[in-house]
Parts: sequence; C-alpha cells; structure tokens
Amino acid sequence: MYLKIIDCMHTINVRHTCDTHLFILPYQNHILFQIMNIHTLLFVSVLIFSLTESSRGRNKDRLFTELQNSIEVTAKPVKDSGVLEGGKDMVTITWKLKSSTKVDMDAAFKTIQIKLCYAPISQVDRPWRKSDNKLSKDNSCPHEIVSKPYDMTPQSLDWTVERDIPTGTYFVRAYGIDGDGHEVAYGQSTDEGRTTNLFSVQASGHHVALDIASIFFSVFSVVSVFVVFVMEKRKAKFEQRR
Amino acid sequence: MEVEGKGGESGTTTTTTAPRRFALPVDAENKSTTFRLFSLAKPHMRAFHLSWFQFFCCFVSTFAAPPLLPVIRENLNLTATDIGNAGIASVSGSVFARIVMGTACDLFGPRLASAALTLSTAPAVYFTSGIKSPIGFIMVRFFAGFSLATFVSTQFWMSSMFSGPVVGSANGIAAGWGNLGGGATQLIMPIVFSLIRNMGATKFTAWRIAFFIPGLFQTLSAFAVLLFGQDLPDGDYWAMHKSGEKEKDDVGKVIHNGVRNYRGWITALAYGYCFGVELTIDNIIAEYFFDRFHLKLQTAGIIAASFGLANFFARPGGGIFSDLMARRFGMRGRLWAWWIVQTLGGVLCAFLGMISSLTWSIVVMLIFSVFVQAACGLTFGVVPFISRRSLGVISGMTGAGGNVGAVLTQLIFFKGSTYSRETGITLMGIMSIACTLPICLIYFPQWGGMFCGPSSKNVTEEDYYLSEWNSEEREKNLHLASQKFAETSVSERGRATTHPQT
Repeated sequence: MYLKIIDCMHTINVRHTCDTHLFILPYQNHILFQIMNIHTLLFVSVLIFSLTESSRGRNKDRLFTELQNSIEVTAKPVKDSGVLEGGKDMVTITWKLKSSTKVDMDAAFKTIQIKLCYAPISQVDRPWRKSDNKLSKDNSCPHEIVSKPYDMTPQSLDWTVERDIPTGTYFVRAYGIDGDGHEVAYGQSTDEGRTTNLFSVQASGHHVALDIASIFFSVFSVVSVFVVFVMEKRKAKFEQRR
Repeated sequence: MEVEGKGGESGTTTTTTAPRRFALPVDAENKSTTFRLFSLAKPHMRAFHLSWFQFFCCFVSTFAAPPLLPVIRENLNLTATDIGNAGIASVSGSVFARIVMGTACDLFGPRLASAALTLSTAPAVYFTSGIKSPIGFIMVRFFAGFSLATFVSTQFWMSSMFSGPVVGSANGIAAGWGNLGGGATQLIMPIVFSLIRNMGATKFTAWRIAFFIPGLFQTLSAFAVLLFGQDLPDGDYWAMHKSGEKEKDDVGKVIHNGVRNYRGWITALAYGYCFGVELTIDNIIAEYFFDRFHLKLQTAGIIAASFGLANFFARPGGGIFSDLMARRFGMRGRLWAWWIVQTLGGVLCAFLGMISSLTWSIVVMLIFSVFVQAACGLTFGVVPFISRRSLGVISGMTGAGGNVGAVLTQLIFFKGSTYSRETGITLMGIMSIACTLPICLIYFPQWGGMFCGPSSKNVTEEDYYLSEWNSEEREKNLHLASQKFAETSVSERGRATTHPQT
C-alpha cells in the first residue's frame, strides 16, 4: 500500500488518482464518506434549495454526464487562421454563466477551472488521450489553463499557448467546482460532438543549432569510416611488401 | 598501434613464424584458454571489453527512443500505429544486417566490420534530434537499428580469440553485457532528459538534445575498437589475408551448407521467441508502465530498465547453465534445459499481461526477464555445435531470427490499438510457448535429441562434422579445423551415456 500512495502523490492528476487509490481500502473509504457527509450536510443547511442531481457526497466518482452544461465558454485564437505556435500565439478565452440557467445555479461554484481538451480527431488511435465518463479516469483534458475563484461576472483571459503543449487539435472546457473540489457543472467552447470551433497547436522544440551539430558529427563519423579503410589498405600493402 | 609478437612472414603458411608471447595461456591457434574478466590484457581480454562495450552502445542507441516516448509522442503527434511501426522498424533493419555481417567479418575482420557499421549508423542517432514527423521518427529508428548487427561481430570476435572450453562463457557474457544496453538506456535517457530540462530547456527541446549522448558514445566506442583492438591473436585480418596466413573457404558453399541444415532454422525460430521477446519488451515496457499505472517518466524508466539490466547475469548464467548440463547429460541436457527455461519464460510473460497490481507486475517482470534472457544464453550453448563449417551462417541466421521474431510479434500484437498492451503481452507469452516446441525436433545423430537417444547406427562426431565437406575438399585439407572440433566435441556425449568406441 505504501508504494501506491507514493505513486499517487506524483501523478499528474493528483486529486483524482489519490481518490482512486484510497478508495480501495475500505476502512479509509468509510472515514472519507463520513467527512463528505458532514460537509454536504452543512452546505445543504446554508442553501435554500439546490438543483444538483448527484447524490450528496456518496459518489466520489463524478460522471461527466451528471454535470450541468451551465457555463458558456468561448475560445478564439488571436491569429485569424493557421496553426498556433507554442510560446508565441494567444487564445482569448471568455466564460460566464449561461443566461438560461436557473437562479442560484451557481451558488455551488467556488472555483472555475479552465482546461485545454483534445478534440476527438486528436484522440484517434491514441489510447493515452482517451475520454472516460468517469472524471477521475478521463485523460482527455490534461492541461489546466487557469483555476480562479468564481466571480459572478463574465470573465475573459488572453492565454499564451505554452511551449510544452503537445501538437494537436483542441477546444476549451470550463469546470465549475464546488467547495469539496468536485465538479458540478461544465461548459465548453465547442458543440456536443466536439467538432466546431477547434484550434490546432504545433509543438516544435526544434532548433537550427541541433541540425548543425547533427550534420557535423554525422559527417565526422562517416568520413572516419573511409579514412580508416584507406589506412588499413595501406598498412596491408606495407605488410605484404615486408 | 603496436601488435605484440607480430612477426608472420608473408607468403608462407608453414610454422616458421616467430614465437609470440601473450599475457594469457593460449592453445595451438593462439586462442586464450582462460577468461579473466578484470584483465585488459591484449589482445584477448582487450578484444572482449571493446566488443561488449561497442555492442552495449549500439543497444543503448537503438532503444533510446522508447523511454522518452511519452514526450516524443506529444511533440510529433504520434498515433499508436506510428509508435508500433517505429518499434517494428527498429528491429527489422538488423535482420538483413546480421546476415550480411557474418560475411563482412569473414572478408574484413570483426574489428573493421563492426566499427564501420557502428560509425555508419551513428548519423541516424544524431539526426533523431531534428525529426518533425512520424515518418522521420520511423526512419531514424529503422537506420539506427542496423547497429544491432554488431552482435554477430561480437560472437565472431570472441570465437576467434577464445578457445573451446571458455568460448561459451566469453560469448555469453559479451552478448549479455551488450544486451544490457537495452535496459541501461531506459534509465539513462530519462535521467539525461531531466538534467537537460533542469538546465533550462523546454520539454520538446530537451529530448532532442538528449539523443546526442547515445550518438556520441556510439562514435567513441567505434574509435576505441579501431585504435585498441585487433581481429586475431596474431594480428589483423586484412594484413593476414594478403600475407596468405589465412585460408579462405568458398562463400557460396558455406552459405548453402548452413541453409540446408534444418537445425539452424529451428534455432532461428526459437531465438525469435526469446531474444525477439526481449527486444519487444525493450520497445514497449516503459510506455506500458507509464500509461497503465500512471507513473512518472523516470519511475517507468527505472522499472523498464530492471528488465534489461537482468542481462548482466541472466544471459551469461544461461550459457553457463548450458555448459553445466552438457557436462552431465551432454547435448540432450542442453536441449532440455533450453526448452524448459524458454517455456517457463513464455508462461511468465502470459501472466505479466494479466496482472493489474503494480507491485506484482514488477515482481513477475523481473522473474520473467531472468528466464527469457537465460533462454538466449542457452540458445547459443547449442548453436556452435550445429555446424562447424558454416558456424558464421548458422549464428547469423539465429541472430537474424531473433529480430524476425521481434518484428512479427510487434506486427501482430503491438501495432495500433487492436489489442490493448496487456492483452498483447499475454498473447506474446502464449506464442512464445508455441514457438519453443520445435526444439523437441532437434536431433543430432551422434548425441540424440530431447526424446530420442543417439542413432543406433553409431554415428560419430567426426562423421557428422566431416560430412559437411566433400572428398575433393578433404583432399585439399580444408576440413582440418572441423576435424579438431569434432574431437573436442566428444564431451557433448555427457557423463551418463556410454557410447561404444568405433
């Protein structure tokens, strides 16, 4: 069990993986279950009414299909067309509560987490980017753009694409997270089929200096082969004459 | 480079050569009769250390990409199919190269042949730093993989430097320590990658710079071989060929004789499912642990490395075990040991894919690595006895068969997303068990096979090895080396059996 816990502390998606591992030990599961209940009981006693479907804290494996699509998100690259380059190009991201949602829908939100997600075209034949309905197992949104405390007013951000964002096609998703750290609502800059309003990023890392070094060492190696063969032939002829 | 005691008179083949003094005791052919691991004495032990280190560097370069795949796949937008294709490409180049290397060693000597190959494939490693697409990735892995043919030159060189009683150990340790590179690289590359990142490079530049390390090591090892090594105890090939000291055999006949021997084909298939499995695991295991158990890159690398690092003792151990079995049970003991160890390796491989716990996966993988690598050592306990005239061809075929096994396995089970990685590993284990069964069919008339004793016609070792030469060639005395070998191979009868003297 010790090995598992160490692993859990080092994974990318700390919270979700930790939950999964701790979940396996029935004793600890029970304790967390108790804590969850207390939190949510407190919450309910403050709220006048709540419209969330999910059972109060019993189900730690949040499902994407349970979330309300109540946030409106747009993501527009500053560049009009073409592929975005890491470290250079920017995307303007806006998010706000949908005007169609019921009043106090957003009372549960404490934080808004904006994430960069892979479009289906970038997930084809790439099992390490698979989407999963269970949010703890979902690998389709590994990059967090920003995480901010929830502000009722519409927000906007000019985000520079980081240099270590992988090559791929993306959209932006916002998760509304409650005080317990669980997702309760979401919004995304694309449609349900995730085919519209996508943008592409090209990661590089390539430098001309590397090319020059490669050519230099390669030429050196290959030329050495010829030099050695000529030298050996000469030595053999010399030996023969002796 | 001073060659100690080199005084061969050109033009003569008789014994009027000046006496040569060596640091180690030698036999009539000046091959060392002992193996002193911690010595660097020339020419024997120096040749051993140079050849295993060069082979090690080639292995490091060929498998430098897999531990960094989680980073490379994001930079180049690789699909699982691309990664599978590159894995296949990395081991398929040397199928052809290994077959050719035997002849190249014959013509130019192992020192020049291996150094030339190592230097010519180093550019592929350097150019890995500049690739921008999946095609580029597949191409560099393909060309870098040619360097695995240095296996053949290693075995050839050891067989030229060390005599009968120690050649198995020399070959086993040299091959094992070379294969170690496949494991060491899983440790080295992530560490080099993080060092470069800590120096300030971004993720997608750091992995590119990292590839210069294996490339430089490959180049340097080739230079060491050229500067400090020599082909034979008495000198270098080319010089000796021209001076007439070495006799040449007809290449066409040698190849025909080797290809005709069915046992070479069985060892090639069986080696494909021990060494081939090892190569496949080298290609997929780091990514498997990274993805399935959500480990950090370095952690996955360490676990993956422990698979290949077992080669340090497992493969030599297999060779030594083969020799031990031969002492008591002869060739039949070698065959039984080989079949049992390799089948158990297959069983463990099948289990590995079925385990979903991290700790148990590591434990099973470690045991599995010992068995599969020992099986490789046991294979080359049998190979030297299949043919004497065409030893190079049989070794080349078996070595190439190892790579063919790796190509086939990756093609069927690890290309694209047809099978999950864990299912692929289990199926590979099952296929390994099946392809190990033909070992039961290997039969030597003078010693027997797994299920049959020696032939009732009282075939001797001399009959078996001299049948490779026709009467004309025997008249020219080309068969003398085979005769000597037949006499020493009587030890393969084992202690248990009594064979009537002819």
